[in-house]
Amino acid sequence: MDIFDFYRKDQWPHVFCPGCGNGTVMNCFFRAFDKVGWKLDNTVFVSGIGCSSRIPLYINSDAIHTTHGRAIAFATGIKLSRPELDVVVFTGDGDLGAIGGNHFINGCRRNVDLDVICINNNIYGMTGGQASITTPHEYISTTTPRGNREYPFDLAEIAVAAGANYVARWTTRHVHELTKSIVASLNKKGFNFIEVVSQCPTNFGRRNKMADPSALLEWFKESSVRRDKARAAAVDHVDLNLAGQITTGEFVSRERECYHERTGGSSHGDGH
Amino acid sequence: MNIKPGEYFLQGNEACMEAAVLAGAKFFAGYPITPSTEIAEGLASMLPEAGGEFLQMEDEIACISAVIGASWGGAKSITATSGPGLSLMQEAIGYAAMTETPVVIVDVMRGGPSTGQPTRASQGDILATKYGSHGDYQVIAFAPANVQEMFDLTVKAFNYAEKYRVPTFILSDAEIGHMRGLLTVPNEIKIVNRKEKGIRRSDEAYDVPDDLVPPFETFGKGHKATVTGITHTAKARVEPEDPTIHQQLVKRLNDKITNNRRDINKWEVIGPESKTMIVSYGSASFGGREVAAKDDRVGLLRLKSIWPLPVEPIKEVASKCEQLLVCEMNLGQLYWGIKRVALEAGCKRVELLSKIGGDPPSPGEVRHKLREMGAI
Amino acid sequence: MRPEINLKHCKACDICVYMCPNDCFSRGVDISDRGYFAAVVSAPEKCFNHGRTKKLICELCVLSCPDQAISWKDESTGDEGSGNEHQTG
Repeated sequence: MDIFDFYRKDQWPHVFCPGCGNGTVMNCFFRAFDKVGWKLDNTVFVSGIGCSSRIPLYINSDAIHTTHGRAIAFATGIKLSRPELDVVVFTGDGDLGAIGGNHFINGCRRNVDLDVICINNNIYGMTGGQASITTPHEYISTTTPRGNREYPFDLAEIAVAAGANYVARWTTRHVHELTKSIVASLNKKGFNFIEVVSQCPTNFGRRNKMADPSALLEWFKESSVRRDKARAAAVDHVDLNLAGQITTGEFVSRERECYHERTGGSSHGDGH
Repeated sequence: MNIKPGEYFLQGNEACMEAAVLAGAKFFAGYPITPSTEIAEGLASMLPEAGGEFLQMEDEIACISAVIGASWGGAKSITATSGPGLSLMQEAIGYAAMTETPVVIVDVMRGGPSTGQPTRASQGDILATKYGSHGDYQVIAFAPANVQEMFDLTVKAFNYAEKYRVPTFILSDAEIGHMRGLLTVPNEIKIVNRKEKGIRRSDEAYDVPDDLVPPFETFGKGHKATVTGITHTAKARVEPEDPTIHQQLVKRLNDKITNNRRDINKWEVIGPESKTMIVSYGSASFGGREVAAKDDRVGLLRLKSIWPLPVEPIKEVASKCEQLLVCEMNLGQLYWGIKRVALEAGCKRVELLSKIGGDPPSPGEVRHKLREMGAI
Repeated sequence: MRPEINLKHCKACDICVYMCPNDCFSRGVDISDRGYFAAVVSAPEKCFNHGRTKKLICELCVLSCPDQAISWKDESTGDEGSGNEHQTG
C-alpha cells in the first residue's frame, strides 16, 4: 500500500505544527497497519478532542471524531455493535487520562477488543499549552508559570493495573520499537494500550528551553530507561514518570479473554 | 423473544423495553438509576436473546457515547436514564444532534434539581432535553401518559430517530414508568429504518429529501465516513472557521425537525369546542383528563409529543377557547412556550397549574384552579 | 536507494537532520514554495541504503518524518520508489 492510499489526499497537508510527534506516530502506525495486512474498509478510527485526536480525520477510512475524553466509550459501542470491524482509538494525554480517565480505566478492565494509541505530549497543545496530567513536576506551562506543582500521571502503569491485555510505552525517538509494538498490539485481541511520549515543540518545548524538536527528541533519548532496568534501578522513580526518566518498553502482554468473546454474537445460548 | 401480539398487564418501563426490542433495538448501554433501572435490567436479558448487545457502562456519559458509537455501527440504539444521568449526557446529546446520529433516550423523570426525589415523579427535564446542550439544535421528545403509550411512543421514537437522524426522547416519569396497566400489542407494527447511502428502499425515511436528511453512512461498508462534531460540509470536510458553512449546517439541523413538525407531533383532544381548555402532558394530565371527561365547559389538549413544540394543535385550540390552563409537574417549563403560541393565536388568558413534589395534580386541584379562573 | 524530500510536505522541523546516524541531511538554506527552509539530502552516499536496491534498513528518517515528506528513490533508474513498501529491515 502506498502511504497516500492510507491518507485522505484532499485533507493533506495536516494541521500539525512543524516537528510535531503526531506525524511520526502516524507514520509508524501506517507501517504497522500495512504489515499486519488490515483493510482500511474494515477499520474504524475513533478519537476524542485534541491535537492527536485529529489523526483519524486524515486516514482514508471510517473515522469518528467524538467529544472530549469519550473516545474509548464510543469505540466500545462501535466494536460491540459490529464485532467484525477493527477499531483503533487515537487519543492524547489530556483526552485519555484527565477528562476520559474513567473510561480509560474501565476500558482496560472491560477488555473490549480495541487498540488505543495515546500520544502523550505532556501538554494541552491545541488550547495553547496548559499543564496536563502528564506535565512533569517543575516544568513550565501557561497554567503553571512557576513550574508544575503536581506530579505526572503514569498512564501505562495505570493500564497495567487496570487489566489491559497489552501495554507498551515508547517515545517518538524509538520509531522502530514503536512500530513493532503497534504490530504486536494490532495482532492481539483485547484492550491494547500504547503510550507514545511525543514532542510538542510549540507549546511544551518552547517554554522549557527545548524549542527545537530535536532537543526534545534528545531529551527523550537521554531520559528513556527500559522498564526492566528502571524497576531495578529506581523503584521510587517509576511512579514519577517523565520527571526524571521515561520508562519505555513492553509493560505487559496478557491473554485475558476479551469482552465480546464472552458475550458477543450467538454465544448467549446458556442463558436462563 | 419478541413479545407476541395480544393483551398484557405490564409496568410502563417493561412496555418500553418490549417496544424497543420489537422496534429493532440492537444495542443498549445503561447505568443504574432510579426510576429507570427496570429498563436496563429487562434489556440485559432480552437484548442478547434478540441478537443484540447489552452493556453496563461506568457512567451515563459513557452510556450515551457507546450508544452513539453503536448507532454508527448500524445498530438501533437506546439508553435509559433519569434526571442526573440526563445532565451528564448533555454534551453527547449535542454531539448526536450535530453528527445526526439516530439514538433513543428514555428519560424516566424524577424530582430535581440534583438528587432530589429519586422515587417520585416530576416533569422537571422538559427544558433540559431541548436546551441542555450548548448551541442551537433540535430534538424530538414524546411524553407518554400510560402503559400503552409507553409502548406505542417508544416504537415511534425509534422510527422518528431513524427517519430524521436525530436524538429522540421518551419523557416518561416515575409515575408512568412504575405504573402497571393494560397493554395491547397490535398484530402489525410500523417500523422505519434509516436511509443508507447507496441503498434505496421503499421505506418512509426515503421520503425525506437528501438535502434535509442525508443518507446514513454506516461504518464498515466502504463509505469512508467522517463523523465529527466540528462544523463540517456535506462531504464531511472539517471547516470550523467558515461562517457560511456553519450557518447552512446548523440551520439545516434545525429545519429538518421544525419543518416536519406536522409529521412528528402527536396529541389528543377531549372536548375541542370547550370554553376553557387544559393543556397538559404525561402524568400531569391525569387530573385534567378526569375533569374534562365529566365537564362540558372544560376540554383537554394532551400533548403526546413535546419537542418540537406542537405549535399547530396549541394554536388550533387557543383560537377557539377563551382561556387556557397549562398543567405541569414543574414550575412552568412548557408554560412559556405554550403561552406565547396561545396569545398569538388570540387566546385571552393563559394560566398555569404547577405542582411539584411527586404527586400529579388531582382532579380536585384542577377544579379548584378552574374555579379560580371562573371557568366552572 | 537514497532518501528524497518532498518539498510540498516538508515543514523544516529538521528531525531528519537530528535522527540520521550518518548525517545524510542538513538544514535547508533555500525557502520552499510553502515558505519553509526545507531540509536537504546533502550526502546521500553516506546512507546505509546507498547502493542497495531492495532491502531497506535503518529508515529512521522516513519513519520519524512528521510530515511524510521523505521517501526512497531508486538511484539506478531514477524511479521514485515508495518509502513505504514492505520493509524487512
